[in-house]
Amino acid sequence: MDNAAIVIEDLCIDYKPLKNMSIMKTFFHRHTEKEKVFHAVKHVSFMVNKGEILGIVGKNGSGKSTMLRSIAGIFQPDSGSIDLRGHSVSLMSIGVGFHDQLSGRKNIILSGMLLGFTEKEMLEKMESIIAFAEIGEFIDMPVRTYSSGMYSKLAFAITANLETDIVLIDEVLSVGDANFKKKSLAKMKELISDERKTVVMVSHDMSTMQTLCDRILWIDKGEVVLTGSSEEVIGKYLAFMN
Amino acid sequence: MKRFAIDIRRYWKYIKYAAKADLETEVTNAYLEWFWWILEPVCNMLIYYFIFGVVFHNQEQYYLVFIYSAITMWTFFNKVVTTSVQLVKHSKSIVSRVYVPKPILLIQKMGVNVFKMIISCGIVIVLMIPYRISVDYHLFLLIPVFITFFIFTYGCACFLMHFGVYVEDLSYIVNIVLRMVFYFTGVFYSVSQKFPKPIGMIAEKVNPLAFLIASMRNALMYKTDTDCRALMFWFVFSCMLAVGGTRLVYKNENNYVKVI
Repeated sequence: MDNAAIVIEDLCIDYKPLKNMSIMKTFFHRHTEKEKVFHAVKHVSFMVNKGEILGIVGKNGSGKSTMLRSIAGIFQPDSGSIDLRGHSVSLMSIGVGFHDQLSGRKNIILSGMLLGFTEKEMLEKMESIIAFAEIGEFIDMPVRTYSSGMYSKLAFAITANLETDIVLIDEVLSVGDANFKKKSLAKMKELISDERKTVVMVSHDMSTMQTLCDRILWIDKGEVVLTGSSEEVIGKYLAFMN
Repeated sequence: MKRFAIDIRRYWKYIKYAAKADLETEVTNAYLEWFWWILEPVCNMLIYYFIFGVVFHNQEQYYLVFIYSAITMWTFFNKVVTTSVQLVKHSKSIVSRVYVPKPILLIQKMGVNVFKMIISCGIVIVLMIPYRISVDYHLFLLIPVFITFFIFTYGCACFLMHFGVYVEDLSYIVNIVLRMVFYFTGVFYSVSQKFPKPIGMIAEKVNPLAFLIASMRNALMYKTDTDCRALMFWFVFSCMLAVGGTRLVYKNENNYVKVI
């Protein structure tokens, strides 16, 4: 436990159908259906050690991304606990939140400031982020003018170049063209090779997961099915999926 | 509220940077760029001058300052409250990717509108010159009046930001209510003098915006005292509103992402 970077105990996350209420619907549909609660994550417990790379696998809708967002502090667990032991955390997912009207350059600074970096620190990292993102002159154009590929590349470049203790990676290995994919995979390997960094990653690319991860957690319908070495879990997971 | 204070300190630089970026975005593609921040309120002032001075021959003393100072306060309140209803939904791309305390989003929007309000206040000061309006120690009353006004606006906006996440129709309702409140707030007239006594006096005191605007006018133009007990009441009420609203938002903020 002393070497732990992330300790998750009995984590439960529910989606209550708190769908937007309309006053018309509220008044004129008096006998509404009883609200169902969707249990996205059910009583999940695990621990990730400092410097460890944990992969999470599972089919679509199994609760992987929900769990990552919860670790990133975006969702509040309905019960259970997430202890990051005071480490800083960043979530690398397709499309870090951008202000569409602002330029890429301003969004780089704002994204960094939201993750706890100062403006000065972000200005220092600016050139490396711009170079990595490969979006050229578009960096001074409003983000709304970007193609989806450029948007994702910039998002990846920002998170990949920010040095947080814990990096959460959600399906970002398919970003951009073939060249950028190669480059992002190399960057990921570089990130991962830093022993100070703890990484939790979600991907459907099993060969990458097997290459990069120390350990794999398989979840299905919000519950842990199996935890173990990459080879063992991925083998059983692929057999299950087939 | 301790958490709120910590968050304000932690995100202060972000608030300033994001507010500045928001302001720049508004004028980036305009030909006159930042000049619009001055031109827009000046043009509004000229419109009020034409309508109330030339067309209606308004008899109110210092009528242009009278109207424009109130419009400045109302515009701030109106914009902050209207924006707050859809604030979380409009910030979806941010709040669904990274944790940001939701009151910070509101404070940032208030910062944008404070900047615009400061420009309008500058115009009010310029307008006071031709009228030769002198000021005295009563001017210091503007400090508690504006503090109360900002806290009140923040409190209202917090509640609306929360309910705006869940209630689709809220923005329509808020627009209608704001229009009604606008006409009862005495932006273009004096509530206490237009209504028969004692209804006018009561109507001015029970409506916090009417009271704060009247208090601002007293301090700025008429060199008269305001009702300190009523001001204290609205200050305490605004603080309670702000504390309640902040708590409500903090308690529910991590569920907003599940809904929007």
